Amino acid sequence: MSLPLNIQFPAVRTDLCFAGGSIIMKLISLISGGIDSPVATYLMIRRGVEIVAVHMDNRPFTDEKNLDKTLNLVRHLRTLTGTPIKTYVVPHGPNHITIARNCNRHLHCLFCRRMMYRIAERIAEREGADGILTGESVGQVASQTLQNLSVVNRAIKYPVIRPLIGFDKEEIITIARKIGTYEISTLPGLCCTIVPKQPSTAAKPEDVLNEESKIDIDSLVEKSLEGMYVFGPEAL
Amino acid sequence: MYSVLKPCKTSAAFEAIPRERFTLDLDLCEDIFRKVCTIITHAGIMLIVSDQCEVSIHKDGRLILKTDSGDVAREQAGRIAGWLEGTPAIRKHRDSGSLKK
Repeated sequence: MSLPLNIQFPAVRTDLCFAGGSIIMKLISLISGGIDSPVATYLMIRRGVEIVAVHMDNRPFTDEKNLDKTLNLVRHLRTLTGTPIKTYVVPHGPNHITIARNCNRHLHCLFCRRMMYRIAERIAEREGADGILTGESVGQVASQTLQNLSVVNRAIKYPVIRPLIGFDKEEIITIARKIGTYEISTLPGLCCTIVPKQPSTAAKPEDVLNEESKIDIDSLVEKSLEGMYVFGPEAL
Repeated sequence: MYSVLKPCKTSAAFEAIPRERFTLDLDLCEDIFRKVCTIITHAGIMLIVSDQCEVSIHKDGRLILKTDSGDVAREQAGRIAGWLEGTPAIRKHRDSGSLKK
């Protein structure tokens, strides 16, 4: 059964975000060059949330076009909403290499996401943010089953906000087209090439923890933070 | 060695699929490629090198050629085949058959 989609797009409601003169929520948005995360980010900016963007740079398992697309998407969202967005770019390729060399191949996407969450949480602490924002929706890819989302949630203490959780792909694309991010997101860019052929869709927390014990998570997070660089809110 | 070259769905790269089934010893591949091109990384499950373009080399022989030029991809796949052909880095399967007609 197809349900009608009727989403209104009012201007950004800055009146919603002030309580006694201070912004009431700040989120770290994990943003890629894909379709979903820019839409999730837009929806939360529209609700008056302050956004700090974090892009996990997957090179050499992607290409530089993905980084270019992401920065263009942030630039577009800034222009569209009139809100500056500070943006961090974090090297994630070395984390992939360590995971691939040491851990169960089928669980790779879960380890990847748990690392992204941990790094985003550390940036959230630095930025005084209230939580992590992602473009995940149930069942869209193998790593986004409810069971797997539960496993990745356990990597951090901060809340994870998923405004697209119940949307299907067509609904997300409809919004992306309306806000003008779809055309940028669908420009050529290499998908992550280290994704396993048969990723786990129902990982068990104990299996994930056992595999992760083979690598030095804290050291990887620290190195990622040391290697990251930042674009100021007005830089893009 | 590589008969099929098809663009990735995002049009950002080409994929070369081996004509016959074989397995690559990526450690040996790394030794061979180090003499002729630049090793970007050896991630255990894949080797990434840079020559005329950047290439991800998988254990099953598949190549992801990071270029939007079909000519560059075709030439690069040929160069890699040339470097590998006849070396112990390639282990052909006994039931080696055509993957693609």
